Amino acid sequence: MSWLSRFFSKLFSKWLPKESSNWQWFYRLGSPRWFYQRSGQWLPWVSLAALLVLATGLVWGLAFAPEDARQGNSFRIIYIHVPAAFLAQSGYFIMAIAGAIGLIWKMKISYMVMKAAAPIGAALTFIALFTGAVWGKPTWGAYWVWDARITSMLILLFLYAGVMALQYAYHSVDAASKASAILALVGTVNIPIINKSVDWWYTLHQPATIKLTSAPSMHMDMFMPLLVMIVGFYLFYAVALILHTRNEILRRERKTSWVRELATAKAGS
Amino acid sequence: MYFENIAALINMSGHGVYVWSSVAVTLAAMLWLVIAPLFKQRELLQEVSRDIQRQQDRELAAKTAALSEPNEESN
Repeated sequence: MSWLSRFFSKLFSKWLPKESSNWQWFYRLGSPRWFYQRSGQWLPWVSLAALLVLATGLVWGLAFAPEDARQGNSFRIIYIHVPAAFLAQSGYFIMAIAGAIGLIWKMKISYMVMKAAAPIGAALTFIALFTGAVWGKPTWGAYWVWDARITSMLILLFLYAGVMALQYAYHSVDAASKASAILALVGTVNIPIINKSVDWWYTLHQPATIKLTSAPSMHMDMFMPLLVMIVGFYLFYAVALILHTRNEILRRERKTSWVRELATAKAGS
Repeated sequence: MYFENIAALINMSGHGVYVWSSVAVTLAAMLWLVIAPLFKQRELLQEVSRDIQRQQDRELAAKTAALSEPNEESN
């Protein structure tokens, strides 16, 4: 395993930030204590924004958007299904990139972010699969079909579960982090497969509603609330990731003086 | 609103059961994702402060033992 991380360090050494340059923020961000204190200040604002945006998008999508000409009202599941699936995949990239940063720059905090991202991503993948199954019943007549998109999303769920399980498979935190990071990186192969699955194996799942390269394939009145929901899910993801990362910081830094002071202060209040 | 009344919004011309169960499960999962770590955080901090308390108790006990020992010998 260590030869792999040495290989990555060598590969990226050209872009390694220099300690005394504009990259200081990068190193500060790597300090668990700095992150814990700063994220505590961000948290209320991000949470408030997430709540407002999600409430707006949900009410707009469920009560105000027009119904679909062919699918009727069942199509409204799109307002949670697509954002959840979106974040399940973005979250996987975030987890894999955090793992890569850990392997290359040995930044403590990035491994904690990687570990925190796994259960959140798993929950979002579950939401995408569940709402998809419920949507499938009135639309396709079946809850579950071994369609390429659905199967590759199920593999994504297993990848998340694998990263979570590997965290507990080693006695050494460092070994567990490295193994998880490598599994996460190898698993990114699945993401483009998920993306392309609706085009490569065109069976039941409808093709992508939103593409970066072309206009959305739905009416603006339906599309706008979906966009709001995606932004809301991103904000929610940030809140969940910060909360889980903060706990991981407390768990790994519990012997340090700043955590002990924090705990004493909390116990006293 | 797109629907004529609240009953129509809930029923969604027969699709309500699918839409609302999806919404309920999603919201429950999302709430769990933010509430569980908040409880965990409290638990972790309590654990640390218990450890500190226990350590202080041990140190205090060691000190009192060290103080009382020479007394016993002098008696």
